[in-house]
Formats: sequence, structure tokens, C-alpha cells
Amino acid sequence: MSHKETDNSTKKDNATTSRRNFLKKIGIAGAAALMSDNASADVSAGSSNPDAEITASEWLQGHFVLMSDEEKKNAIGRLEKRYTAQYGKKTTVSDAPPLEGVLFGYALDISKCIGCRRCVHACVKENNQSRYNPVIQWIQVMKIPRGNFAFSAEKLNEGFPKSSAMGDYGVQVGGNAYAPVGGLSVEHADSYYPADEKVPDKNFFYVPVQCQQCEKPPCVKACPVRATFRDPNGVVLIDYNWCIGCRMCQLACPYQARHFNWGEPNLPAEEMNPKTHYFGNRPRMRGVMEKCTFCLQRTREGRNPACLEACPVGARKFGNLLDPDSDVRKILATKKVFRFKDEMSTYPKFFYYIG
Amino acid sequence: MKLQSAPVTIIIALALLAVVAGGLALVGGLDIRKEKNPGDNELAKAAATAQPVTNCFESRETYSAVARTENVVPQYGYPNVKCSNTTSGVLWYGDPFDGTIPMGEMPKVADETQGDFVNAVVKPREPRLTYFNMGPDGCATCHNGTIVPFPKDKTPRLIGMHQDIVANSLQLMHGRGALWCLDCHSATNRNRLLDRRGNEITFNQPQRLCGSCHGEKYIDWREGIHGKRIGEWKTGGKKRWWVCTECHNPHTVQTIRFQPINPEPPPPLPRGMKIADYVRGDQSAH
Amino acid sequence: MGRTIISFVVDVASYALKGGTKYKAWLIFLLFIIVTGSYTAYIQLSEGLITIGATDEIPMELFFANFIFTAHVAAAAILVVAPGYFYHRKDMKELAVIGEIIAMVFVATGITFILFHMGRPDRLWHMVPFLGYLNFPNSMLVYDTIVLNVYLYLNLIGISYILYKKYVGEFDTKALARWFTPVIYLAIIWGPLIHICTAFVLSSNARMGAWSTAVMPFGFLAMAGASGPSLVILLFLMIRKYTKLHINDSVIDLMSTIIGWSLGIIMLVFAAEYFTALYSNTEHAAPLNYSMFGHEGLNMYVPWFWGTVGTIVICFIAILIPRVRKSYDRWLPLVCIAIFLAILVEKPMMLVFPAFSPSPLGEYVEYHPTFIELYNVALTWAVGFLSLTLIVKGAVGILTGEVRYRKPEASASS
Repeated sequence: MSHKETDNSTKKDNATTSRRNFLKKIGIAGAAALMSDNASADVSAGSSNPDAEITASEWLQGHFVLMSDEEKKNAIGRLEKRYTAQYGKKTTVSDAPPLEGVLFGYALDISKCIGCRRCVHACVKENNQSRYNPVIQWIQVMKIPRGNFAFSAEKLNEGFPKSSAMGDYGVQVGGNAYAPVGGLSVEHADSYYPADEKVPDKNFFYVPVQCQQCEKPPCVKACPVRATFRDPNGVVLIDYNWCIGCRMCQLACPYQARHFNWGEPNLPAEEMNPKTHYFGNRPRMRGVMEKCTFCLQRTREGRNPACLEACPVGARKFGNLLDPDSDVRKILATKKVFRFKDEMSTYPKFFYYIG
Repeated sequence: MKLQSAPVTIIIALALLAVVAGGLALVGGLDIRKEKNPGDNELAKAAATAQPVTNCFESRETYSAVARTENVVPQYGYPNVKCSNTTSGVLWYGDPFDGTIPMGEMPKVADETQGDFVNAVVKPREPRLTYFNMGPDGCATCHNGTIVPFPKDKTPRLIGMHQDIVANSLQLMHGRGALWCLDCHSATNRNRLLDRRGNEITFNQPQRLCGSCHGEKYIDWREGIHGKRIGEWKTGGKKRWWVCTECHNPHTVQTIRFQPINPEPPPPLPRGMKIADYVRGDQSAH
Repeated sequence: MGRTIISFVVDVASYALKGGTKYKAWLIFLLFIIVTGSYTAYIQLSEGLITIGATDEIPMELFFANFIFTAHVAAAAILVVAPGYFYHRKDMKELAVIGEIIAMVFVATGITFILFHMGRPDRLWHMVPFLGYLNFPNSMLVYDTIVLNVYLYLNLIGISYILYKKYVGEFDTKALARWFTPVIYLAIIWGPLIHICTAFVLSSNARMGAWSTAVMPFGFLAMAGASGPSLVILLFLMIRKYTKLHINDSVIDLMSTIIGWSLGIIMLVFAAEYFTALYSNTEHAAPLNYSMFGHEGLNMYVPWFWGTVGTIVICFIAILIPRVRKSYDRWLPLVCIAIFLAILVEKPMMLVFPAFSPSPLGEYVEYHPTFIELYNVALTWAVGFLSLTLIVKGAVGILTGEVRYRKPEASASS
């Protein structure tokens, strides 16, 4: 379902676009300033400044989900044209629709994860994130100490609340053996462990966190313009061209899964992945939110997400929650499964399990 | 309304102009775009534009090696794999089925573990049995009965070769003394493995050997719960399966489940933060 | 009609720009910040929010914190309007328009802060009803946007109507237009509403342990009751000193009484919040512990916390003393300035920034604003205070009768 040959679509004169032509022409001057650093080498000459015209049309476009097929085709064509020129390689922007009868789910084995961060960087390679200034990574791996209970027996009589002279009769009320005892608590987590120490460290376990694709996503509830929404496959998506950058979703997300393009994303042309999806990994612009989409551009075409393929220990499993024979359903049925921050009542479709 | 006289207006205009110019000069002169963590950006920038690494490994360092080939998927200009610049680990598959062969026939165990093997493919191990680069015959180049005589029985004895695989052949960890080399390696056909009944198994299907003891893990693996599979996510879709030895070294697995590797670089610290300890959670209680 | 409106605008503007040396200096100072600030604003708008201090760990920046503060002051402005209209206090009815001006200017300033906060201000039209798609009734920000804008326009209508009618000499409290009183009453009710909505924008985030507290609207209203009247007192004292508009001592006294009560309620709200958090000392108390005592050497917010709390307590005690309350030219303005600044500082340094530590993934971070961010905050405040100064000055001219409509043949001679 990829659209490849829609290069001339922006030039098509029809009833829906002519309404905007006037506004377009006004917008060109301003838009040219916004897009001035883009290369415009191979863009077919339709007007004096095709980049500006594309920008103006993009600025005027509505919410992608609510567009007519014709408008979608134009929007996709504009993007393909612009990306192809900007990155110097033939880029496809798919608008493959959601799949029928599929609810995506993910399972991650925290007893296997070794904390190698390959998923983090695979995700960056696949999803065209900004490489620097800002650095955007959709997965963060926490290193959490196991329950190594080193406690001195001499302190057994000391406690909190402390014995006081105010009349506790020397009856002890609390201890102080507070040493970490593992568990999926972020209280002792460290996401910045260095690259020069080997993993796994036997005294720690590792918990990668990415968008949990909640069934009750607080981010979707918080978005004032419905730019982020849950698609029929259960994946929470963002229309990057509709997002206004207010960051209310980031404030609402209990998983720190949403990442903001604080500046113009820096994506070197040679690093750019030319197979993209409108709601997935197409290059983003400054000032919009982005997050894990379960690699929409892959999963809607049947392929596994990039983080799963990168995991060297096979700790990651992906599949259709409506299919009882899928890996994820088998894990849910047979393993000890839990959700991260269950108390937030977000009902993630990202499950952690002990395999 | 009253109008100001012309000279006053001009003076006010000039004063305003001076204020504007002075202000712009002041603000423009300050270094107002100083980045807080310039080092992190430089590192990331360098990593993003470095030459691609071509000698990569998948799960086991030095075992599951892959060479990067350019333009395997011409439609998108994808190489077969993209690897880490810092660890050479394979991060990303342009073509998940590059260099694979069908898994081959797998035994049927029970209804619930039929396995999804119709479209299963694996990376073949047999072409890599080129220890010391001895030749196309693999292990049999030496272990052909003449250069190295076939052993008479499976009694453990000290071996003068292959110490890099098993340092002391009398202390093979696998099975904690219950097993020895020739329980798994065929004495007469060194290019084959042996299952518990003495049937020969190819190096491409070690799961049939491992599974004969490790039944629980084997069932999990057949169901897709244990182990790694890439390619299509659909049940019955084409998948590349990782077999046991692609992650575990059978000679040392007893003590080292998975050989530790170096992780990829950490994310940059939040702006203005200096030491990772600062952002690390509380290690002691109060 | 058209001519009268033009002459209304021209007369008010030319009166507002007149003044003594100090007044001119104040205007030029604000203008200087606005002009220089337009450059930093240009940098931020053209390069994006990377030029400010916010990160994915602390996505809310000084603009957002200052926006909450402007909502405080804007909501509190009804405390000047309500006594005149609800309790028919004669000394305050005349001044109600000043309260409405404060409300309007601060709401507008708050909206400007939000524009600086947004990543894509160019896509603001996505929030315009019928052009874009509002996430109604789910998103709290939608409610907040609606109530803020309605409040802005309610006050704009009220101010324009009163001032214009007074200007042309047709204003009579007995014979107000039938639609006008409901508008004023609605504006009075709407004041707390903008505040409650703003509090809900924060407290609706379950993830933000420090914010998901039911006392937040109460705390906000109490802080509004302290910071707003502080500004009102300062403004009234200055108007009284430098213009011919007469403001009774009783007005100032009412305002300082409100401040006293509000500070008391703030202290109670803080105490309730801190007790609830600290007695059991669960993970929900972690941000508070971080504010109060720091965390493993990160103690940027600690002095701000104790400084703000201390200022509030000291100001509360001070304003209980009759001699301070009556010291119109010395202690009262000082206390008012202290309260205004304390609550201004409370927003970023106690409410917003420490609430993000620990982050959902257990990180502790400090916020480091950039120069551009600080300067853009100054710019927005300068725009706000410039508008406030000019509009209040113009309004005073109308209220004192110095600016009033003259028939065309009369004004043509000048």
C-alpha cells in the first residue's frame, strides 16, 4: 500500500485545492523563510519556489485521519517530493491503513534483558529520529539493582522513628534496613550506565521502557487538538503535521515515552531511512511530539518492529493479541506477566514478563 | 488632541532608535546560544556520520559474525545489516532473511507445540565449520580418521587441542561431569552432532540435540516464547529463527548463560547535569 | 459614532503617553526590554524551543510557570470588581474598571506566555473552533483555553464599555445597559473559573505525584488572593500619589485584609499538603523531599523553597500588624512587593520544576534556564506591564475627567 508515483499531485487543479490556492500564494513568502535551509535540487519546477508552495500546503492541511482520499494523496505526494529532494534519495511515505482484526501487543522478558541498548539504537536507525541537538531516543533502558541485602547486624537496634526521650519506654518502632530489594521500582534506576562496562552485570537487572501503547492513554486524553490518537490496532499515533507542540501529552505520560523535537531535527542524509509511513517514521519537523509507534511502517506490512529484531537475546516478543497462537498471547497465558505502573490504570499493551 | 512640535518628535525618534540599536548590540554581543552539553552533541554527531562498520556480530561475539553487504534491498538502498560503530553489534536488518536457508524438518512433539516451522528459516552453521580455515570439508578436514584417528570410546581424557573452546577437557562444565565432548559430537563424522539416541544431527539444527535434555526450554522455544525470531510477526509468517547456539555457548553455558557484551552508548545526560550519579536514583534510604 | 471612537482612542493614547520624568523613564525601560527582547523572541521562534532550558525530563519551562502566575493575578482582579458590584461599596465601584484592566492585561500576558510555550505557534489555528478540532470534553487545556479567552473578551467588553461611556459622558451607574450588568457578573464568576481550570490542567496529570492533589485549586485561589491584591495595592498607591484620582484608605485596607486571609489560607494549604505527603513519606513525597532537602547533592531548589515559605510566613505576620497595614508609603508597599515576588518565584521553583523529579523513570534533574528564555520572560512581562501602565493611565484620565469627549468644533481649534 505504498504510494510512489504521486509527484504531480500538488499541481492538480481541483475544487478542493483551488480554495486554498489564494492562501497558498500569500503563505509562500512566509513559508520560504521557514524552509530556507532545505535543498531544493531535484524538485520539478512548478512554481518559482516549490519548497515554499509545499510548505504552505502542508501548513494548511487538516488532520490526516479526517482527510478525503484525494487530500491524503496530495499530502503524501508533497511529503515524498520534499523528502526525496531534501535527503537525496527516493523516499516513500506510506499511508497503509490499520489491519483488520489485529490488536498489537508487546512482551518483554526482564529476566533475559541484558541492558545492551541495541533496541535503543536500532529504533533510532529505523525511525529517523534527530541524531543530535536534540538527541531523541524512544527507548530508555533502566538499570535496577537486584536485592543484594547488605545490612550490618550491629544496626539492628537502631531505627526510624528514632527512640526518643519523650516516652517510648525503649520500645523499638522501626528499623533501618532499607537496602534496595529489586522489584520494578524506578527509585534506584540508572539509565546512564556507561558503555565501557560489560552487560549484564549480575548484580543488576535491566528494564527497557518505551511507549506502552496504553488502552487508556492519558496522552490522548490530554491532547487539545486530537493530534494524538489510538488507531484501531491499538497503537497510539501522532499526526506530526497536526501537533501544536503544547506538550500536554508529555506531561500526562507516566512512562516518559514521549519525546519532543526541541529544535529542527538533525538527521544526516546517509542515516535516513527512506521507507516511511505518514504516522510512523517519516522525518519530523521542529516543535512536534514523537514516540514509539511499534514501527508502524513495518508492522502494518507484517514485519516485526526494529527493536525486536535488534535484541540479541530474544527478550522481545511482538504479535497480535487477538490471535491465541501468537507469541504474546502464549506468554500471557503461561508466564508471570505484569504491566509497568499498573497503579496508573493506563492498561498498557506492553507487558513485562519473567520467562 | 495636541501634536508635539517637530523637533521634539525627531529627538524622541532618534532616542528610540538609539535604544533599539543599543539593545540589539547588547543582546547580540552576548553569547546567548551557548549549549549546555556541547560534548554530547559532538559525540552523537561524530557517531552519526562515521563510516559504517562492516564486520559485525549478532548475539555471540566472535561466533555469529555477519559481514555488511551494501544494497541488498535496492528499492530502498538497504544494506543487509547496519551495525553499531562502538560495539559492532548488529542493530538493524535491511533484509531479515539474508543468507538464510529453510530450517529443515522438525519433529512433531505434541498438539500445542506443533511449532510454526513451515516458513522457518535459519542462518546455516555448516558453512562455518572452518576451524583454522582448513578447507571445505570442515571439521572432517582433520578428523577424517587418518590425520586424527577416530576415538575408541567416550571416556573423558585430556585433549591437547581446542583449548580455546574447552580449556580443560576433563572439566567440561556442561552437565557438570555427566557429559563429555563425544556425547554431543559424533566420533566418526565430526561435521555432525549426535542426539541422545546416537542419531546424527546437522550443525544447522542444534535444537534437536539441546532439546533432548532441555525439554522445558525447548517447548518454550518451539512456541516462540524463548529465543529470538525476526521477520514477520504473523503466526505462520516467514521468520528467521535463532537456534540455541546462536546465543548460548554450549561448552560454557553452565556458568555463563550469555557471554556479557559491551552496551551501546548511553543517552546524553539531561541538559545541565554533570555526573550520572546525580540523576541516578537514591541508593540509600532516609 | 466612528469619529467618536477614533477620538476616544487618540485622546486616551495621547493622555497615556504623557507623564513626568519617572513615568517616561519607566516606559522607555519597558520599551528597551521589548525592543531587545524581540531579538531573543525571534531566535526562539526561528530556531525552536531548543534555545530554552526545557528538556524531555522537564518539559514545562519558565513560560508555563509564569503563565500560572498571570492566571493568579488575573483571577484576583475580581476582588476589586466584586465589592463594588456585589456589596455595592461606593468607594470601589468606580475602581472596578481598574480591576478589570488588570484581569484583561494579565490574561493577555498569560496567553502570550503560552504562545512562547508552544512548539508550533504557527499551528494555533488547529485550536480555533470549526477550523481545527478541539479535544472536547477530554482535554483540560481546551477548557483552559476557552475560559481564558472568554475571560479576556468579557473584560475587554466591560472595560471598553465603561471607559467609552464615561468618555462621552453617558455613564450612569443607575442606567447601565441591560446587557452590561450580566457581563460584569459573569466576569466576576469567571475569574475563579480560569483559576480552577488552570489548576486542573496541572492536577489532571496522575503521573505528576506532586500535582495530583485536591487542594491545588484552593492553593491557587489563595495565592491569587495574595498576589493579585498586592499588585492592586501597589497600583492604587501609585495612582493615588501621582494622579488626581481619589482612592479611599478603605479600599487599600480591604485589599490588605484580603491578603492577610489569603496568606493564612496558603499556609494552611501548604501545611495540609506537606503533612499528608511527609507523614507517611511514600514515593509521592519524593518531589517535596527534593524541594525541601535536595537529593544527593542536587539542592538547587532548597533555598528557593525555604525562602519562599519564609517570605510568606513573615509577610503574613507583618500584615497582621495594624501599623504595617496602615503604613501606606513604606511598609505596606514593601510587604506587597515581597508577596508578589514570593508567589512569582514559587511558581517555577516550588510548583513546577521540582515536581518533575524524580521523573517517571527515577531521574533527578535540575532546570537550567537559558538566557534567551529568561529574556523572553522579561519581554512578555515588559509587554504586559507596558499595556497595564498605558491602559490604567488612560483609564485614570477618563475616571478623573481629564480625558473626555469634546465636540468636533471644540477640538478642531487645537
